[in-house]
This record gives sequence, C-alpha cells and structure tokens, in this order.
Amino acid sequence: MASRLAGVKELYENRIRRAEDLRLSGSKIIGYLCCFPPIELMTAIDLVPCRITGDIKEQVTRGDAYLETLMCPYIRSCFDLAVKGKYDFLDGLVVPHSCDSVQRIYDIWKYYAKPAYSHFIDVPHMTHTASIEFFKRELERFKQSLERYAQKEISPENLVQAIHLHNENRALLRELYRFRRHNPPLLSGVEATQILIAGMTLPAREYHELLKSIIPEVAARKELPGEEKPRILIYGSEIDDTGFIELIEQCGADIVMDDLCTGTRQFWHDVELGDDPLEALACHYLMKIPCPRTYKPRTGTHAEDLENRFGYLKEYATEFKVEGVILYIIRFCDTHGFDVPDVKDYFEAMGLPILYLEEDYAITAPERLRTQVRTFIDLIG
Amino acid sequence: MGSLEEPTSATKSLECAKKVRPLVKEMYARAHEAKKQGRPVAYCMVMSQYDEILRAMDVTPIWTENYGGLCATKRDADRFLAKADAEGYSMFLCSYATTGIGFDALRRELEEIPADAPDGGMAEPDMLLGSSAMCDPRYKWYQALGRYKDTPIYNIDVVIPPVDAELGEIRDYYIKYQVEEIKGLVAFLEKATKKKMDWERLNEIIDLSEETNRLWRECHQLRKAIPCPMPAEDHFRTFVPGRFWLGTQEARDFYREMRDELKYRVENKIGVVPQEKYRLLWGGGLPPWHTMKLFNYFGALGAVFVRETAYIPYESVDIPPLVTHPLERLAYRAFGHFTYRYEGSRKGCGNPHVQLILDWLDEYKADGVVMHQVMTCRATTIGQTHHRQLIQKYVKLPVMFLESDIVDVRTYSEEQTRRQIDTFLELVDSYKTANGC
Ligand code: SF4
Ligand code: SF4
Repeated sequence: MASRLAGVKELYENRIRRAEDLRLSGSKIIGYLCCFPPIELMTAIDLVPCRITGDIKEQVTRGDAYLETLMCPYIRSCFDLAVKGKYDFLDGLVVPHSCDSVQRIYDIWKYYAKPAYSHFIDVPHMTHTASIEFFKRELERFKQSLERYAQKEISPENLVQAIHLHNENRALLRELYRFRRHNPPLLSGVEATQILIAGMTLPAREYHELLKSIIPEVAARKELPGEEKPRILIYGSEIDDTGFIELIEQCGADIVMDDLCTGTRQFWHDVELGDDPLEALACHYLMKIPCPRTYKPRTGTHAEDLENRFGYLKEYATEFKVEGVILYIIRFCDTHGFDVPDVKDYFEAMGLPILYLEEDYAITAPERLRTQVRTFIDLIG
Repeated sequence: MGSLEEPTSATKSLECAKKVRPLVKEMYARAHEAKKQGRPVAYCMVMSQYDEILRAMDVTPIWTENYGGLCATKRDADRFLAKADAEGYSMFLCSYATTGIGFDALRRELEEIPADAPDGGMAEPDMLLGSSAMCDPRYKWYQALGRYKDTPIYNIDVVIPPVDAELGEIRDYYIKYQVEEIKGLVAFLEKATKKKMDWERLNEIIDLSEETNRLWRECHQLRKAIPCPMPAEDHFRTFVPGRFWLGTQEARDFYREMRDELKYRVENKIGVVPQEKYRLLWGGGLPPWHTMKLFNYFGALGAVFVRETAYIPYESVDIPPLVTHPLERLAYRAFGHFTYRYEGSRKGCGNPHVQLILDWLDEYKADGVVMHQVMTCRATTIGQTHHRQLIQKYVKLPVMFLESDIVDVRTYSEEQTRRQIDTFLELVDSYKTANGC
C-alpha cells in the first residue's frame, strides 16, 4: 500500500488545486483568516472551511498597489495572492477581529477581491463573563449569515455533530504530535507542518480519514533507529510553509513542538460541549486559544501573571523534552511583539536557550538565517 | 514668530492654542500632586469611553499616549525608545507605547523618574486602565508594564461594529456589552478607591462633556470659512482639553472661548496665512509630533489645513429618551460615534472614513488631502492607500503621503519631506487650474 505520509507532501504542495477540484465537484469553499472563525459552523452546513495562507516564496507585487508595507507581512502576502486571482476559487471570505492587521484587511479585501459571500466576526479581546455572552451573539450572527448564504438551517444536531468531528480531528492531531515526544521524534517538523497546512484546506471528514491512516504509519517508525539532535520548540504566529522549518532541521535540530496559530493553538484543546453548542464554541475560541491577541487578566505578581499566561508552555517543554526555543515573530505584529520580553523571561526562567527572530514572512537571507540557527544549535549542544 | 520654547513645534494662530501648553504641564503636575496627597492616579488610554467615570470617581488620569507625543515634541524620546529596544521591544511597535515602556523601565532601574523627563515625568500610577479601543497596543502596553510594576490593571473592551453589519441587528448586544465592560471598570475602581460611584454626579459630568463636544464641534464648523480661521497645527494642540480633560469645566470653558475667538476671526476675515492659496485636509494618520513645524512649511507656501480626521469630537448621537442611566448613555455615545457614518456611506462611496473625507472636501472647499503613514501605528495607517484610490475615484484631487512616525525620528528626513511637499503643492496648484478654480 502506498505511504499516506508520502502523499501528504503532495497534498500540501497541491492544496490549492485540490480545493479548486473540490469546488468543481460542487462543494462551496469558504476562505477564512487566522484560527478564530469557528469552522464547526461551516462544516455543519456543508461548506468547506479553507484557511487562507500566504506564500513565503512569492514576492508581494500587486498587493503593493493597495496596501501599506508597514503592516503584517503575512496578511499582505495572503491579500496579494487574492488580488492575483489565486483565491478566485473561494466562494466566500470570513475574517475575524484577531488583530489590527486582520481587522483592517476585511474591507480592503472585499473591495478588491470581491468575494461573493463575506462576513466579519468581532472577537472580543477581553475574557470577562460579558465577553463570552457578546461573542456568543456574534457567533449567532455568523450562523445566521451562513444560513442565509447556504439557504438552509444549521440544526443543533448538525452543529453538535460537526463539533464532535472537529474534536476528533483535534484528538488525532494530538495523538500524532505525541510521536514527537520520542527521541529522535517519529514525525519531523516538516512532516507535521505539511499535515497541518494540508489539513486546513480539506473537508473535516476527509482530514479525519487522512489522520487516521497516517497514525499507524508513524507509530511503525518506532522500530527504526535514529540520530538524537537538539530538540526545539517554535513559538510565534503563522508558519504555513515548510521552508523555514526545513532550514532549521537541515541545520541539525529537531522541531518537536510549537506554539503557533497554524499549529497547536488550533487543536490542543477540544471544544467542550455543554447544553448550548454556540456557547461552547464561544468559550472555546475565546478562552482556549492562547494567542496574545486575547487578554488574560493579570492575577497577582508578575511571576504569577507569567505563569497564568504561559504555564502551558512549561507543560509543552516538559512533555516534549524541549532543549531550546525559537521565537519566530513576524515584523509589525503588535500582539506578539509586546509579549516577546515576557515570553523570553518565562523560557529563560526554565533554563531554555532562546533564538529570537523578527522576520518579514520571507526567507530573504537564508545564509544569515542558517548561520544564526547553527550558532544557536551549537549553543544547545 | 511662534513660541521658541520647543524648537520642533509649529507656530500657533489662535490665542487659545497658546493656552494649551500650560494645560498639558498642569496635567502632569496634578498627577504628581494627587500622588503626594495620596489620591488615586491612573494610567489611561484615550477613546476608552471612561473619561467621565474617572472624573466622577476623583481618579487623576495620566494619558500615557500623550506622554509619547510630548517627549517627541521635546525631541526627548530617544532615551526611552532605546531603553525599550534594549528590553526587547521591537522598534516597529507603537512608539507611544515603546516611549512609555522605556520610561517605566528606566524609572524602575533608576528607582526614580529619569532626570529632566519632560514635564516632570509621569507620576507613579496606582492603576493601569487599558482598553481595546481602536488598536491592539492599548491593551498590550499595560500588560507589558507588568515587568516593571505590580500595579493593578484593568483592561476594558471597546467594541467597534463592522461596517457592513446591519446596525439594527447588533445595536442591542453591542451596547449591552459596552455597558457591562464599563460596569466592570466601575466595580474595579470602587474596590481600588474604596469609594462608591455617585451616579447622579456621573450624569452631570456626562452632560458637561456633551456640552464640551458640542462647542468643540461648533469650532470645527467655523473652519469652513474662507479664509480658514484655524489650521491643523492649532487643532493638534486644542484637541487636548477634548481628549485629556473631558468631563471638566476647564474643557467646556476652553471650547467656549475658542468658539468665540474663531467667530471673531471669521467675522473679521482673519486667516491663518496672509494669502490662503491652498486648503488641505488631514485625511489619515496621527501627526509627526517630532516635527510639527512642518506645518509652518505648508503655511509658508500658502497652504492651510482646514480639517483633520484625527482627534475629532464625539458626534451628537440620538439616545432614546428612556435611556437615562449614565453607563447606557456612555455606551450609546460610543456606538453612535463609531457608526454614525455607516448607513450614509453605503449610499455614497461605501467607506465611512472616505465618505467623511469626500463630504469635508466639499463642505470645507479643500483642494487636496495629506495623510501620514505612521511607521509604528497600524491602526491609523492601514487602509490609507485604499482610501487614496477611493477618494480619487470620486474627485480629481491630489493625495499626498507623508512617511515618518509619531515619535521616532530615526527614519525621518526633513529635506526629503520638504521636497515632497513642494511637489505636492505644485500638483495641487495644477489641479486647481485644471478644475477651473
Ligand atoms: S502575525 Fe500578528 S499581525 Fe499578523 S495576522 Fe498574526 S497576530 Fe496579526
Ligand atoms: S492608535 Fe496607533 S499610535 Fe495610538 S496607541 Fe494605537 S497603535 Fe499607538
């Protein structure tokens, strides 16, 4: 039987074509930015949620005519692809209020790329009791808007089913990630990225099958001997291309864990279903995605505050036997940028060496990057 | 000649504008005085909808964004920016914030206010009141200050509806959330100050600020006159009472006096420059505080800014008669101020900000638009390129981009900017000729 893992690489590389094919076969594809739109609502109404990604290898050209350079270069790249027509296959666009750059791109995107359907979700920045209530109302509005577009209703049963399906996918991803605890890890950083990015464009059911078929293949690798290398955790926001990960792994390290919005932030926790599925979604997307754009009220001293905000990183580091951390921060990102010294302090207090990179969502100087990464890896030993 | 007190600042036209500098000094002095007397002092962010709440609770505010601007006008921000840099904050983050963080990091290190800090520095706050109004740095900044102080913090959400939302569908829950957010702040303040909110007093203070905003709006209406009686350089001073003293008699009296002065100037046709050749709109971004004298350069070439989109008064909003609770009044005001152009703009160009510019171009008889692409402010800069395209789709007028920062002068070139202004005004001139003016 052909290796499904080998097939993932192809799926990752041709994900746009795959989504286009899906559309040709009658599916409606809804593009969305960031990890804040509840994809369960789209799945529940048979729309295919497709996370919009940038292209680190392609220079922003047409987008320059409409967008400033001093904003998130990742969002600029996504938008540039849209005005170049690469996202023309999308039937719609969903944008959450995740940060200033994303919030402000919505109107501009609508104006120049003219999606047939579009919706903006206002995600609160605070996590007070009233914030969840407000967010629930916003999700209700989003649900109604999808229903108007698809001209059918999202029944509570369908929504619950979709939540279960996505939760199962989350569980499978966590299972897959646990193979990275091995030393050497059974799944490389490049492979994990390929699976994640390919999966973000697939219908949930298909992704489910894919993950289920990959897991035994990865498990079987236990038998193979391998070389132990420094174990790295990557912290940051959007890494939707294997180029950077590959560069690090080629320099002689293993990426074994991440805290990225294209990585664990999407699936480390399940949506906890109660009586009200919309409320469950509101709680999940507001409280369980540890993105710095969501403010966690300060409790106690600074040390306690850091523990409260970043305690999960200690769990990641321990569980995955992390030996060093790369902070990959996209330039002009205020939400992550203001957290950098705090995150550094926190990792340093754990005794972990850190490499801080502020990048333009481009690998413009691979040699410089390689030298930096190699020096860092030598430091870890 | 203007004041030589600050070599970077612009010449003022209005007598009122000259009264602002003492008000700013007073602001920082009052905070120090409050601190000395053991009264509560808070770090605050503008547009957070809590100005009147602070006044009613006798909390002395320090508007930390203003401190960034102040350091910039004094050309004394570099040491704070450098400190923030050394602490690991990127130079591309909001430079009001990095100035403030640098200041507090230095204060922590020196165990006192950095020597000769502008206006005596910011007094040590008893609380940090951030918000999500307009941008991300406003709540991230105070969170970051946790590295330097254990001061209690309360961040509130200030929600701004999406422009394509049906207002009827969302109004209730947006307003309800805004009320709850401010209510949470009141509870925090009551605990911190051990004092109960006096709702009646709050209502009176809101009345006072309504009157202040009304007078302030009147002032701007008077600028439609030809010649224009007041330039941007004055606006970027005289917004101080409206943004940092709102809810006080001082602010109300200030705009009353300013309105009278403007009326007098309009009646007597007293303009800003001897011969008003070009009327311009400031259409986006915050001003380059580090080099406000740039406006003099426009003036020297006969150009006057007649209206600005930054730091504007709150619009008058229809509040249902049954709404009398002060928190609801505040929430309605916020909702109304943020959305009052939405529905109208759908009948026009579709973009509320651009529609405002188009309306003002017409009402204020302006000949061109200048926007400032601020290196460190996403909130006021993203969209300017789109806005320019949209403006030019509707009117044949030139739009210029200044490129610099609100505080940071490291990438700023005065010579290049002046050349750019020369070229722009030549263009304005040729458009005017072509448009038959
Ligand atoms: S990287 Fe930062 S600025 Fe860019 S989309 Fe993510 S949170 Fe926003
Ligand atoms: S609006 Fe701009 S300048 Fe003001 S605090 Fe936000 S990022 Fe800073």
